[in-house]
Amino acid sequence: MSGGLADLTLADVTRLEDIVDKGALTEVCRSFFDLFSLPIRVFSNDGALLADVHETREICRYVNTLSEGRRACSTRVTEVKALAPRGGAVEHPCFTGAVYRVVPIAYQGRMLGRFVVGPYFPAETREVPRSLLVLDPALDREAARSALAEMPRVREETAERIADHLTRILDLIIFSGHRAFLTSEMHVASVRESFRELTEKNEQLQEAFDKLQELDRLKSNFLATVSHELRTPLTSIIGYSDMLATGIAGELNEEQAEFVETIRGKGDHLLALISSLLDLGKLEQGKLRVKREPMNVELLVAEVAKTLAPLAQKRDVSIRVEVDGGLPDISADAVRIRQVLYNLTENAVKFSPDGDAVTLGARLVELEADDDDDMGFVLMAGTRSAVELSVSDRGPGIPTDEQERVFDAFYQVDGSSTREHGGTGLGLSIVKRLVEAHGGSVWVESVVGEGATFRFTIPEADDA
Amino acid sequence: MQLDFKARELTIKLVYYGPALSGKTTNLQAIHQLVSPGVAGRLMTLETKDDRTLFFDLLPLTLTAGSGLQVRVKLFTVPGQVIHKSTRRLVLQGADGVAFIADSQRSETKANAQSFTDLRKNLKDNGLDAAAMPLVIQFNKRDLPDIRSDEEIDALATRGKEPVYKAIAIRGVGVLETLVGLMRITWARLEASHQLADKFGVEGEPLLAELRRHLGMEGAPGAVR
Ligand SMILES: Nc1nc2c(ncn2[C@@H]2O[C@H](COP(=O)(O)OP(=O)(O)O)[C@@H](O)[C@H]2O)c(=O)[nH]1
Ligand SMILES: [Mg+2]
Repeated sequence: MSGGLADLTLADVTRLEDIVDKGALTEVCRSFFDLFSLPIRVFSNDGALLADVHETREICRYVNTLSEGRRACSTRVTEVKALAPRGGAVEHPCFTGAVYRVVPIAYQGRMLGRFVVGPYFPAETREVPRSLLVLDPALDREAARSALAEMPRVREETAERIADHLTRILDLIIFSGHRAFLTSEMHVASVRESFRELTEKNEQLQEAFDKLQELDRLKSNFLATVSHELRTPLTSIIGYSDMLATGIAGELNEEQAEFVETIRGKGDHLLALISSLLDLGKLEQGKLRVKREPMNVELLVAEVAKTLAPLAQKRDVSIRVEVDGGLPDISADAVRIRQVLYNLTENAVKFSPDGDAVTLGARLVELEADDDDDMGFVLMAGTRSAVELSVSDRGPGIPTDEQERVFDAFYQVDGSSTREHGGTGLGLSIVKRLVEAHGGSVWVESVVGEGATFRFTIPEADDA
Repeated sequence: MQLDFKARELTIKLVYYGPALSGKTTNLQAIHQLVSPGVAGRLMTLETKDDRTLFFDLLPLTLTAGSGLQVRVKLFTVPGQVIHKSTRRLVLQGADGVAFIADSQRSETKANAQSFTDLRKNLKDNGLDAAAMPLVIQFNKRDLPDIRSDEEIDALATRGKEPVYKAIAIRGVGVLETLVGLMRITWARLEASHQLADKFGVEGEPLLAELRRHLGMEGAPGAVR
């Protein structure tokens, strides 16, 4: 293994020996040797010998029997080994008249090593070179001449062609080796990655599970306490004040009747508050299940308008419906979405001036990207749509700086409106959580003195 | 990006991303065919029997910039199939730029969007800032019937911020423009964060000119915007 992850991410090779099989390399060199009788050695970048196919030549053997010859030969070999040409092949002459051809091995724009062809005797050279003859006083010219004659003779051009051919074959071997290497590395990396992913998910699940169990316990306690400790006595209070009001316990005078009525009214209010708190508690813990199914928007709006018509009529408020034709079904929990629209409409009716109108609308919109940038707009546009429902009134409106806070639990635009309009202050926070549980969003647009429009979106079902 | 001062070598990684069968491999094949010999190495494909990319395709390009700096550009594709998620994340590691290859066919609009969402997620998971990643978008397969129209794409392209290219990769049309466009913004980003001009005396424009020359496209048109 080599440079590790950096090499894998760039699919790079730094060391030849990482990706080629020495045996295969030697085999190729051997077949060249068999064909052309040319010795071939392959070196990596750092000079390691990866393949070596040669037979010691008669001339080399002879030269090495002479002391000067031995020295000169070893110097020459060291020189050749140290050659690391980058641009192209270089030739290095030996004092025997033979040459070495050193050829760089480049791959994907990087030097990985070199191979050396030779020594061979250039066919163009006829004479025994002087450098050989004067090498050592003990040299026997005839012996040298006949040893040289046995040396393979190769024409310059042929040597070049052979080297080119070997370059191409090596390139293929390196390429295949690299591919095999990458494939196995990627297999390992993918498995490791999948394992990491699974482990991470497992841990998250375990954590979530533990947390849920704890929450579940707390929630059960909380709900039991609230419903039992608060709701039960409250029901009695309401029941008894009801009975008082009906005169079962004796006729009440006007003042008494008014007090009893107040007790009952406040009791109802308190009960509604507790019910809302229970809902909120469920939502807070993510316990509220949203059971989605296809739902017709037109019917939904009509139904809510009809349900609230009597309440509206009391104040001579009319409910107008403006639903675009051809809306797709939304995928939503019918009970919850009805609750949302009902809440908003009921509010609008309450805040609407007497004799005025409240408008319920629905239209198709395109969901904006959920991130604050518009990255990949051209790809994302039009791929996610939603139905936007709106409820408008021409009541007092909500100041700009309060338009976000209205969705906080227990928030009231002004302290008096709860009393005046009889809300619990929880309605909008529940609306917000319900809408968000559907993957939508809710907001309000308003100008003080001109009214308010609440809008919420329910995304189209994800069919992926 | 990898910088080797000693070897005067710079390696840039560009990733071709997109849904399965949108034409990522075809883009690399076309570049391989069009680029002058000696600049591109062999196109390496790690694929399964059914021709689908298993891990990635890889096409290495080598350019020599002014002052002798060797610029190696490695083009990768990712496997588009949904199940290869972890492989996509691996291949995306260390990317310097991304070409998103979308399939122009109407029926593929959602697949494109899903793949793009996947890209963003994988960038984030790799700790890369998706918004800062050099990104170009290519609408491929312009030769097919029932594709998103030029007007539609042009209109969206003016509103989006990424350069958008149209291509017929099987015929090599628009492929080089996409590559050069991506190289341009990738280089600009690398220059901004690594001051390559100061360190190596390498300017983006001459390098791009060199790339265009090797791609045989002097004077070719730029982004469709
Ligand atoms: N008609 C048409 N087909 C294309 C084009 N580009 C790619 N294809 C074909 O789409 C299929 C998938 O291409 P491929 O490059 O393997 O997709 P990848 O999965 O993104 O790598 C192949 O059959 C390609 O020949 C194009 O521009 N036009
Ligand atoms: Mg492919």
